[in-house]
Amino acid sequence: MDIHYIGERLIPGQLGNVCVILAFVAALFSAVTYLISANKFTKSEPDAVAWKMMARVSFRLHSLAVIGIVVTLFYMLQGHLFEYEYVWHHSNSAMRMRYILSCFWEGQEGSFLLWTFWHVVIGTILIKTSKEWEAPVMTTVSAVQVFLTSMLLGVYLFDYKIGSNPFTILLRQHPDFANIPLFQNPDYLAKLDGRGLNPLLQNYWMTIHPPTLFLGFALTLVPFAYGIAGLWTKRFQEWQKPALPWAFIGMAVLGTGILMGGAWAYEALSFGGFWAWDPVENSSLVPWLTLVGAAHVMLIHKHKGQSLFTTFFLTFTTFILVLYSTFLTRSGILGETSVHAFTDLGMSGQLLLYLFFFVILAVVLLIVNRKHFPKVAEEEAVWSREFWIFLGSLVLLIASFHIMFNTSMPVWNKLFKLKMAPPTDAIGFYNSWQIPFAILLTFLLATGQYFNYKNSDIRAVVKKVLISFILSLVLAVVIALLMGISKAFYVVLLWSSLFCICANANYWLFVLSGKVKKAGASIAHIGFGLVLLGALLSTSRKEFISHNNSDKDIEALKLSNGRNNILLQVGDTLQMGDYFVTYTGKHKLGANIYFDVEYYKKQPDGKLKYDFTLKPIVQINAQMGNVAEPDTRHFLQKDIYTHVTYADYETLDEKKQEGNEYGTSKSFTMAVGDTISSSNSLIVLEGFNTKVDKNKYHLGDSVLAVEAHFKLFDINKKIYIANPVYVINHNQVEPIEAEVPELGLKMNFWKITPETGKIDISLAEKNVNKPDFIVMEAIVFPCINILWMGCVIMVIGTGLAIWQRVKKLRIKD
Amino acid sequence: MKKIHIIGILLIAVSIGAIMASLSNSSTYANFREASVHPDLEYHVVGKLNKEKETVYDPKADANLFTFYMVDNGGIEKKVVLHKSKPQDFERSEQIVIIGKCRGDAFQADDILMKCPSKYNDGKPSETKI
Repeated sequence: MDIHYIGERLIPGQLGNVCVILAFVAALFSAVTYLISANKFTKSEPDAVAWKMMARVSFRLHSLAVIGIVVTLFYMLQGHLFEYEYVWHHSNSAMRMRYILSCFWEGQEGSFLLWTFWHVVIGTILIKTSKEWEAPVMTTVSAVQVFLTSMLLGVYLFDYKIGSNPFTILLRQHPDFANIPLFQNPDYLAKLDGRGLNPLLQNYWMTIHPPTLFLGFALTLVPFAYGIAGLWTKRFQEWQKPALPWAFIGMAVLGTGILMGGAWAYEALSFGGFWAWDPVENSSLVPWLTLVGAAHVMLIHKHKGQSLFTTFFLTFTTFILVLYSTFLTRSGILGETSVHAFTDLGMSGQLLLYLFFFVILAVVLLIVNRKHFPKVAEEEAVWSREFWIFLGSLVLLIASFHIMFNTSMPVWNKLFKLKMAPPTDAIGFYNSWQIPFAILLTFLLATGQYFNYKNSDIRAVVKKVLISFILSLVLAVVIALLMGISKAFYVVLLWSSLFCICANANYWLFVLSGKVKKAGASIAHIGFGLVLLGALLSTSRKEFISHNNSDKDIEALKLSNGRNNILLQVGDTLQMGDYFVTYTGKHKLGANIYFDVEYYKKQPDGKLKYDFTLKPIVQINAQMGNVAEPDTRHFLQKDIYTHVTYADYETLDEKKQEGNEYGTSKSFTMAVGDTISSSNSLIVLEGFNTKVDKNKYHLGDSVLAVEAHFKLFDINKKIYIANPVYVINHNQVEPIEAEVPELGLKMNFWKITPETGKIDISLAEKNVNKPDFIVMEAIVFPCINILWMGCVIMVIGTGLAIWQRVKKLRIKD
Repeated sequence: MKKIHIIGILLIAVSIGAIMASLSNSSTYANFREASVHPDLEYHVVGKLNKEKETVYDPKADANLFTFYMVDNGGIEKKVVLHKSKPQDFERSEQIVIIGKCRGDAFQADDILMKCPSKYNDGKPSETKI
């Protein structure tokens, strides 16, 4: 029987679906016509321009359709159209509107859409700026769009489902929910609310991190498309001129996006740090590393015409690594090794096809054209800038290889039937390899610019960097001693990152005489040095001040890598590092529970002076589970991070805990001689008194009353008496409670069961008897601001360098 | 021999080193039986919480001690001692990965990963508005 559902808004879905199909078809058409046009251009056929115009129109149509999809999806989310699975899955009506962006890209479909959208923006710019490169470059861009929009199609080809379409999957038709009785109700929409957004994503970083990251991914397509176009149209050198600025823009944007992810992890996640070498983090970092390599090798090629193959290799590798990362994080293969991979939508096959299409395209084009790569007869001189940049790029490549090899462990397991687990101490494991690479890189960055292209006088170079070398060495020793950094590798990295900062500052101030315009590279390198310095200082000297020393189990102490959780009862003050910390209580605001943790400092006179309050949160989320969010106090030279790992949620719904108020009472059934316990005493039922002195209780004569005799023993064996009275007045039970103020207890006697001779009583305790408590972690991160400052400086420097290059390109034209 | 060749050889050497280190450094997935054969080796054990048995967390006694019973994928049950605080929403976990060593009659875990499908894709439509 067909049910006529009430209030379903099916038109937006149909509109969205039309846009999806249009976007896919137009992209396909655009790719084919651009391909034909590019071929005709290489043969100088006259109708090439006409084909190009047709392709342009198709791409514009595609762009419009993609914008149509985006707008429709936003409309659906904003209007709470829960009849659509995507809307139901990723949002709810209680959610604040500012997180609507996060809802948009929480799911795979939305994040593919975001990526597609950025390609549309970039494609539009390319049509305007790429001139004679338009047709071959846009062929690749359009081809990528074909793959991306196919992820949204949601149609069946024989038995294989292509893509997942947020517009056609209605909640009531979703296979997982087919037999839910709710959908028998024609008016189900009136009763339906969304599942809601994962509370971890309800954070402002989550509204800006994904678009930045995806813009970064999208930008890697441009050098790739130029590279393919260069091989295809046999302009092996020329493609790099327009591609170079794009590579550097990609580098800046992707780098920013990755660090924003780190900032999000640091602010909102509870692992206590900004980088955990999680597979998802790694798979965005690795393409960045190779992109940095690619962009820098392009510089060598620009100046010396060397390393042509390496430019192709690194440019192609970057884009392919982006596709590979997409496969890793979206195919579900990472499984339990990552906490934030996407839900598997069963698109592995499609994702692999996307990956292999471009791998094969790149490899085939490289092999076909292998004879065209010039064999350079003369070797680079050791003391030349190109040689040092080249070395740097190789270090980056090896570093990425190491990260990718380990991140791909689940893939190796699947391919070779292994049972390898990710390293237990991932941070320690990756650091032990990546720190040496970082040392090499910073050393190369410090000295690289002092070398000339072609060849330099090594003695002159040494003379120029000597000051920075000595200064950084002194600084490193002083800082290491002051902060107690003793691990050899840490000290060396401390020195080399300081060397990188000093040498580049020196280069900017004295070699370039402080001119800002030309100093883009030096400034960016200073920023990179600062990022590493900040990362090193904040992680190597990260200190758990919530250390639990009361432990007696030495065996357990040896086993565990840190006993960092500490119990704080309300009102207690414990020393943590330089601070004295008190937990003063909790309060509820919306779905969040805020725990007030006050930090005090000891003054010379021994008195405690209030310093600041942190309010870590636990969000109660019945649907997706409780989520804890840390709170961090930022100082110039350090951060203090506080995170509630465990709390008593039973008392959460009560109003502010007043110590002198009684909490909820507990019921007990007892016979004479039985004992029950409260949190501070043992309570024994001694017997009954049926001849109650009614005057004492102001009771009438017709009333039936029974008094129970309880003896209460406190910890010191001191005895108290409590006599609650059971009263029946005109068939109504009207008990008279007994209070023991010394123990903070109240007892009520409210039922007698004559058959068993047992009675029911209730016992309430004052809240002070069982104080509220939290289990928390407190960490000090020293100097973490150096890291964030480094990020900003790096981006500014890269921006300056790009601006200069683009300006030069314009002048040449 | 050209410099590029020397660099190439170095590159290959470092790569092989990286692979070897990864393979030897990494702990492996195992079940309780395998883990108890080698009490000195670190393992990842995948399993499910036994919800019938009691979980013990008494932060007043020790905030860094939590014990529970887990059944591994081979069906063997073992007591697990986790040297951390009790994770949020522990009872709702569908799958658990514990990382540590098998010592005596208990598995001493340093770390735990939980998969709560509810967090990512579970949860069914139900009447939530009244």
